[in-house]
Amino acid sequence: MIAEFGSFALVLGLAFAAAQFVLSAAARLRRSTVLAAAGEGAAVAAFAGVAIAFACLIHAFVTSDFSVANVAANSHTQKPLLYKVAGTWGSHEGSILLWCLILTGYGAAAATLGRGLPRGLKASMVATQGALGTVFLAYTVFASNPLARLPLDRIPVEGNSLNPLLQDPALAIHPPFLYSGYVGMSVVFSLAVAALIEGRVDAAWARWVRPWALAAWSLLTVGITLGAFWAYYELGWGGWWFWDPVENASFMPWLMATALLHSAIVTEKRGALAGWSLFLAIGAFTFSMLGAFLVRSGVLTSVHAFAVDPKRGVLLLIILGVTAGSAFTLFAWRAPKLSRGGVFAPISRESALVLNNILLAAATMTVMLGTLYPLIREAMTGEAISVGPPYFNLTFAPLMACLGLVLPAGPLLAWKRGDLAGVAQRLWAAALIALACGVGAYALVSPRKAFGALGIALGAWLVAGALTELAERTRAFRVSAGDSWRRLTGLPRGAWGMTLAHLGLGVFVLGACCELGWRGEAAEALPLGGSLDVAGYHLTLETVGPREGKNFDAERALIRVTKAGREICTGEPDRRFYPAGGQTISGIALCYRGASHLYMVLGERRTTAPDSSGRGGMPVWLIRAYWNPWASLIFLGPVIMALGGIASLSDRRMRLGVGRRREAQAAPATPDAPPPTPLRPGQEQTA
Amino acid sequence: MIAFWVTAGVLSAAAAMLMLWRAAGAAARPEPTDVTSIFYRRQLAEIGDLADRGLIEPEERKSAEAEAGRRLLAAADAPVEAWTPGVGRGPVLAAAMAVPALALALYIAVGAPGLADQPFSARLAKWRASDPRTLAPAEMAAVLEKLTSERPNDPEGFRFLALAEGAAQNPAGAVRALKHAVRLAPERGDLWEMLGEAEVYTAGGALTDDAITAFRRTLALDPKNIAARFQLARAKIKAGDREGGLADWRALLADMAPNDARRADLQSAIAEASGAPAPVQAPPMAEGGGAAGGLSADQMSAVRGMVDGLAAKLQANPDDQEGWVRLVRAYAVLGDAGKRDAALKAARARYAGKPEVLDALTQAAAAAPMKQGQ
Repeated sequence: MIAEFGSFALVLGLAFAAAQFVLSAAARLRRSTVLAAAGEGAAVAAFAGVAIAFACLIHAFVTSDFSVANVAANSHTQKPLLYKVAGTWGSHEGSILLWCLILTGYGAAAATLGRGLPRGLKASMVATQGALGTVFLAYTVFASNPLARLPLDRIPVEGNSLNPLLQDPALAIHPPFLYSGYVGMSVVFSLAVAALIEGRVDAAWARWVRPWALAAWSLLTVGITLGAFWAYYELGWGGWWFWDPVENASFMPWLMATALLHSAIVTEKRGALAGWSLFLAIGAFTFSMLGAFLVRSGVLTSVHAFAVDPKRGVLLLIILGVTAGSAFTLFAWRAPKLSRGGVFAPISRESALVLNNILLAAATMTVMLGTLYPLIREAMTGEAISVGPPYFNLTFAPLMACLGLVLPAGPLLAWKRGDLAGVAQRLWAAALIALACGVGAYALVSPRKAFGALGIALGAWLVAGALTELAERTRAFRVSAGDSWRRLTGLPRGAWGMTLAHLGLGVFVLGACCELGWRGEAAEALPLGGSLDVAGYHLTLETVGPREGKNFDAERALIRVTKAGREICTGEPDRRFYPAGGQTISGIALCYRGASHLYMVLGERRTTAPDSSGRGGMPVWLIRAYWNPWASLIFLGPVIMALGGIASLSDRRMRLGVGRRREAQAAPATPDAPPPTPLRPGQEQTA
Repeated sequence: MIAFWVTAGVLSAAAAMLMLWRAAGAAARPEPTDVTSIFYRRQLAEIGDLADRGLIEPEERKSAEAEAGRRLLAAADAPVEAWTPGVGRGPVLAAAMAVPALALALYIAVGAPGLADQPFSARLAKWRASDPRTLAPAEMAAVLEKLTSERPNDPEGFRFLALAEGAAQNPAGAVRALKHAVRLAPERGDLWEMLGEAEVYTAGGALTDDAITAFRRTLALDPKNIAARFQLARAKIKAGDREGGLADWRALLADMAPNDARRADLQSAIAEASGAPAPVQAPPMAEGGGAAGGLSADQMSAVRGMVDGLAAKLQANPDDQEGWVRLVRAYAVLGDAGKRDAALKAARARYAGKPEVLDALTQAAAAAPMKQGQ
């Protein structure tokens, strides 16, 4: 009954999403508050329906109900409970239901929380969100139903299990974060479409967009980082980013959202770049849908590429084309009529943010070209080519390096007209630190790596630049320590958010450049007692023994690590065989040395050739070891960036309802009454 | 069934009520003020607040306040759309009734009304209560799996589980069960022998290191064990010690009873390995033929089925380097050179940047083919 109840709740969610669209659109046309509120209620009901369906699907996975086709195809009785639950979104059907859950969740949140929005804008937004919900739920119900049942005589005794590579704690929580980021862009998209329908994009619109964009961006940052960390330790080759199309699919909306966050500031503060902000808002969700299409359609080969049914890929492409096509058509029609914002000088905060947007947009295009070109070429010529790191190193990296160079200057420039000489004067210390770090890295670190040293200099420049900006805000060393402290504690959280985000970028650049520049590697087939050396560390294979997991059998090695005769740590990498899927994967071991990692992998067991007496040879194991200097910073940097996003999000100015009641009391009761007197500075703080 | 429809009805009613409640609240609430003007007044307040805390310069404050003030005036001057309740309760009530009806129609189209849940625990309980002779091998394996979890120290339980897994065409499950069994009773040569056979079967007839280890343990416990002697001699030949392996096989042949049905298989193997023509007499494939290293027609068919399954699995999920190595080795052992080369080409293209995988693929492709009944 529970599986069928979930099935009913799912179609109920679809019906209410359709009602949300129809009622909200009708409300906009008739300017009816009752219909608008009914549409908002339908949004909450749609979310409730999908949430119940999702809970029922989790129940089916947990109880191994193989009468649900999706459970039979993706679960197994011997899977640990965590991965039974995570299996809910580990399949194509389940992941699309997760998408719908988050989509309707954002729709319900926007309908409930957006009380401070103009009526028309809100009704159009809720209607757009309802239309998106209807389209994706219809796809789920009719083409990808996760609760579809099998006839009683076709229920298998045991399930097919989940790809072992996906049975990992980081990957269990990676999709919810990633999807929360992807789908969070839907609210931004809906607000853009609503603004185009209303024909009005102003500073207020930009403020209403920013909390949603910030939330989505922060969640996407965490999701991508979790994915990179999973790739780092689960795939067993020591890499964290390979410019794989699946990785790129998540990176493109992140780049667009980053550009949007910056352009929305200009729109909010100066009323400028309104059309561009709209374009980015539509583009960010379009790239999210493109990512879903690439990963779910079966055109890519990866652990995430579940759908081998081309019909579903075509349907997703149609959804992408219709949704994005409609929005961009509306944009082309309405955007030229939008009013232009304030003017600004070539040297100003606005110009710096425009440059930031140009570089981010160009970087997004290079990633898109490198991702889609091989697919288009293969579709047209049948010839498979691969676009890998060399292309991205030559295109993406220089653009990002330029962005990194100008980034610390942006926040120090004044709005409208900036003073470049003054900024240069304030940044000289940061430049000196960066130069010293770069020269020091080149001169002192062996082997000498020019590009690695340049990367270190860039990372140091970003970190020092972010700290300089903070020092400028608090007037550190120019006023008394007490006064600086007072300013520091009084800084708005939005300012902290910006500083943290820029600081996090610098930390990431430091880690990435150091890891890529000075990475060490060694591999050798070792017998018991054998050893190998990497980056001055001596690794000895002590023992190899069996290890029994809940749903796998493994060989586990004990590797002792010493340096100059002193024991440093031990690592226990293993090699797991999952009988349910017949797959073997490596479980790596990490030895942390400060921010650096010694990464150990146990490979296949082999037997050496028989000796002259004809007796069998001894077993040897392929041991691979990597020295990844400052690798922790690669993952710490984005976490700091996401914290920056959360800090900004917690800024009271981002809360749409703040001050509403109090100000509503001060405002006239009728719309045609004269405008009230502006509040005195500081009054808003008490609201 | 009744409980289902009652619950579905309650859910639909609750969702519809939510919609009606929101609509009723809106009809009763007064029309809010112009929120855009409110925003610009807040922006002015924020500018003042930041300036008071010394976070923006006085000149910048003046400019920002002037701009926000202009926007506030423009917003106040902009025509404000009048929103009213607009419609009575009728349309919303109609929607509240139509939406659950639409959901019901959709559910009847895509759902399976009346189909009860089938949690594994309930199905297992049903199988346990049934006559074992009526159970399919996979169901029997599930029952035995549960029994072994209840009696984790009984090697015999794991042996039966291995037999059931084998019958259910799950050789990997059989190997896992036998590994449990030998851990519990390492002194039992029959379990080691079964494990070795299962390993060979799982590898598509190839002698893996694990299989060799199992046969060595068998031989240590039972020096006359025919299967272990045959396979270890075969391992010698594969490793390049042809003479040593042939000598072991000949010794084995001498030790075998004259009426042992496996003698013919062994003679064929010796003849092939020594380059001599195989005996004219067709070797009878006795029940123990598999234990002597060869595979019966049925077994060979099962192996081919498993290899095809592996190939299909790799097509669906090609990012499995271990799987590619196994597939190439399996085709090589089965003597299917065309498929071996095709799989090798595909795998080499996929793992062009991984020399260790390329080495393993090359070694796998070089595995000597095994003929049926060999």
